[in-house]
Amino acid sequence: MNILEFLTSTWTFEPWVLITAFLLLITYGAASGFRFTRKTALLTAGTALMVIAVVSPLDYLGRNYLFSAHMIQHILLLLIVPLLLLLGLPESAARKALAVKPLGSIMGILGNPVIAWSLGVGSMWVWHMPSLHDAVLRNETLYIAQQISFVFIGAIFWWPVFAPVKERRLEPLRSTLYLASACLGCTVLGILITFAGAGLYAAYLSPVDSAGILPYLRNDLCLTPGVDQQIGGLTMWVPGCLIYLTASMITIAEWYGSADSGGLTSAGARSGSRESGQNLQPAER
Amino acid sequence: MSSRIPIVPENTEPLPRLRENEGMLSWVASVDHKQIGIMYLICCMVFFLIGGLEALLIRIQLAQPEFGFLSPEVYNQMFTMHGTTMIFFVVMPFLIGVGVYLVPLMIGARDMAFPRLNALSFWLFVFGGILIYYSFLTQSGAPDVGWFAYSPLSEKPFSLNKGPTYWALGLLATGIGSVASGLNNVVTILTMRTPGMTMRRLPLFVWMILVTSFLLIFVIPIITSAFAMMLLDRLLGATFFTPAHGGSAILWQHFFWGFGHPEVYILILPAFGIISEVIPVFSRKPIYGYEFVAGSTVAIGLLSLGVWVHHMFAVGLGDVTNLYFSFASMLIAIPTGVKVLNWVATMWGGKIIFATPMLFATAFIIEFVIGGLTGVAIASVPIDWVVTDSYFIVAHFHYALFGGSLFAIFAGVYYWFPKFTGRMMSETLGKWHFWLTVIGFNLTFFIQHFLGMMGMPRRTYTYHDFPYWGSMNLISTIGAIVLAVSVLVFVWNILQSLKRGEKAGGNPWNAWTLEWATTSPPAVHNFDLVPPVRGRRPLWDLAHPDMPDEPDAKVV
Repeated sequence: MNILEFLTSTWTFEPWVLITAFLLLITYGAASGFRFTRKTALLTAGTALMVIAVVSPLDYLGRNYLFSAHMIQHILLLLIVPLLLLLGLPESAARKALAVKPLGSIMGILGNPVIAWSLGVGSMWVWHMPSLHDAVLRNETLYIAQQISFVFIGAIFWWPVFAPVKERRLEPLRSTLYLASACLGCTVLGILITFAGAGLYAAYLSPVDSAGILPYLRNDLCLTPGVDQQIGGLTMWVPGCLIYLTASMITIAEWYGSADSGGLTSAGARSGSRESGQNLQPAER
Repeated sequence: MSSRIPIVPENTEPLPRLRENEGMLSWVASVDHKQIGIMYLICCMVFFLIGGLEALLIRIQLAQPEFGFLSPEVYNQMFTMHGTTMIFFVVMPFLIGVGVYLVPLMIGARDMAFPRLNALSFWLFVFGGILIYYSFLTQSGAPDVGWFAYSPLSEKPFSLNKGPTYWALGLLATGIGSVASGLNNVVTILTMRTPGMTMRRLPLFVWMILVTSFLLIFVIPIITSAFAMMLLDRLLGATFFTPAHGGSAILWQHFFWGFGHPEVYILILPAFGIISEVIPVFSRKPIYGYEFVAGSTVAIGLLSLGVWVHHMFAVGLGDVTNLYFSFASMLIAIPTGVKVLNWVATMWGGKIIFATPMLFATAFIIEFVIGGLTGVAIASVPIDWVVTDSYFIVAHFHYALFGGSLFAIFAGVYYWFPKFTGRMMSETLGKWHFWLTVIGFNLTFFIQHFLGMMGMPRRTYTYHDFPYWGSMNLISTIGAIVLAVSVLVFVWNILQSLKRGEKAGGNPWNAWTLEWATTSPPAVHNFDLVPPVRGRRPLWDLAHPDMPDEPDAKVV
């Protein structure tokens, strides 16, 4: 099979993916009255990326040949798709949904920064334990569970930063700290994978060449198992971190763009009205 | 009366109290942020003179090919101690020290959040420095393995002398102090601001100290633990970094540069802060794009944590690794370029007053851009492979750290000297100092770009008489001597101005941040009354109630 045939023939249009995406778009359209806004664009882009990540040759490569392809899919599903979906949710609908008793309180618990952070960073670490990763590649059900968990946990991770309901978000400086520490977590894992010897994930050492492209990958693209694993680790490390960084830049930009209501208020600023009206105030403490 | 209230007997004798006239003791025992700040500056000045002398000796040795002024052993000690001193005992503590002095004043507080911790940081820095310099008195001399102390050279089998042990111990102590001052700054800035001083109204210097402090907290522990491992290797026979026994020499490089690259930003971000204070005041305009200067600082801080591998392109980590880090390193040029544009835009159309602080700030922009451009060049892997370990790199980082950080430090000293001492520095001597520094600096380091491209390796005590190498090195040495003269002028200026400088008054530059609202030097309690803060330039708002910066701001 040459590479062009490979790229055209390995799309796996899983019905459950397409049906989920379709239902998502229809529900969204119905809820928002089929008007096309910026949020609609974000949600559509998120859904499209999700479908592409799961049905395209990327998925096939990641499951059968290349760890680096798996990592790109992982970053898409855990970091980019849920972010776009979350940003696409309209505030009013989210507010209504959160007013429903169990949902609101569940998100109150899951959206707690400590829990959301642990889930987000933890899902990277846990799913990349070599034994678990090999099990996922062998077991279809586990694989599907993993893909679904990426999107859900990704959405929970982004919730404290980009929740559609403003008052559930962290203050901008706190969310920068939240993201920077998450970046540190994924950096350490990226470093581990990058500098560990080849063969951390045994399945990629000598894949079954079901599509007949292994010579092309190994000889023409020079993707030896070592290089492949390095690309995977580095993809988590560098571009992964850049996503967190871009997100914190966005929150800071929004913060500066909004009216100054104090941000992280100091103890002094909170209790500060006692001197109002006077021109000069005694120094703090 | 409830029995739960503990009964404390009244003191019959008065408690011991330090008075102003108790001389040295009132300094040594001080927990006042201003006194500690001043002590930081004085110690940095002493270390600056020592480190400068070492640089001068290095340059004299290199003035001619095959010169025998210094022995190879002494030369190695000199360049190791020059690098270590300038980074850990001059630039870093100066910026921390000036922060310790100014941050509470700029946010309208009485002192740092943890005054005793502040004193501890300072004394750890001083004693760390003394410990390292004590190694000169030992039989085997000072550390001689470079300021990076690459293993396995720094390991026991290859360096039997005590120097590297003193080096690691001294820097370990200093490092603990740096983490403590980072924590202290963060807590102070987050909790002790005067009413109205919201995070979005922080003076940019304070903002940059905040980001730097987070970097200190995150990265100094990396190197501190590496020092501990190195000491275990050297003293207790561990083998963390010796490949022959299953350790990894490259691991040291990862630890060192994992700290070492963010360290570069620890050295430059507060300098950016000084420049962002000086340029608006002497251009008589508010800073252009405050949000961009502040936001790009956060971006630089975050990016700096993940690009250290560009110091290791020649190690052989693989093309893929090099490629990713080349790309990430070049990204830093974006937020840095944003800052340069903001400073230039602030000056654009302003009524620029070229007093000495402004001269240094203007020269900073030019020199730092040169250092930044060569930095983007060597972020490219092929270029780095050609010039790595050559004088091109020496030229690059001196443009960033001397032309950058140190020029900003000079700007800061001239700008805040009236606040520190109550007296102005001499403008005439200041201009002499400025021009001698600019000429000496460029004479010394610009030509080193070419020497490096011609292949002259760094860290070697001499060189063969290749065509032009001798004359180019001589030019560089002449530049270093000019620099030495400029430093003497600077010291003379400080000493003279302390005695006979013009009286400064509270706000000699007509500046806008809170530190100028109090007397010079400030009283022990900093402020009698803090002016209301309704915008980013509280003293402007106070002087011009008819046209405040933020007309809609509520009075807090």
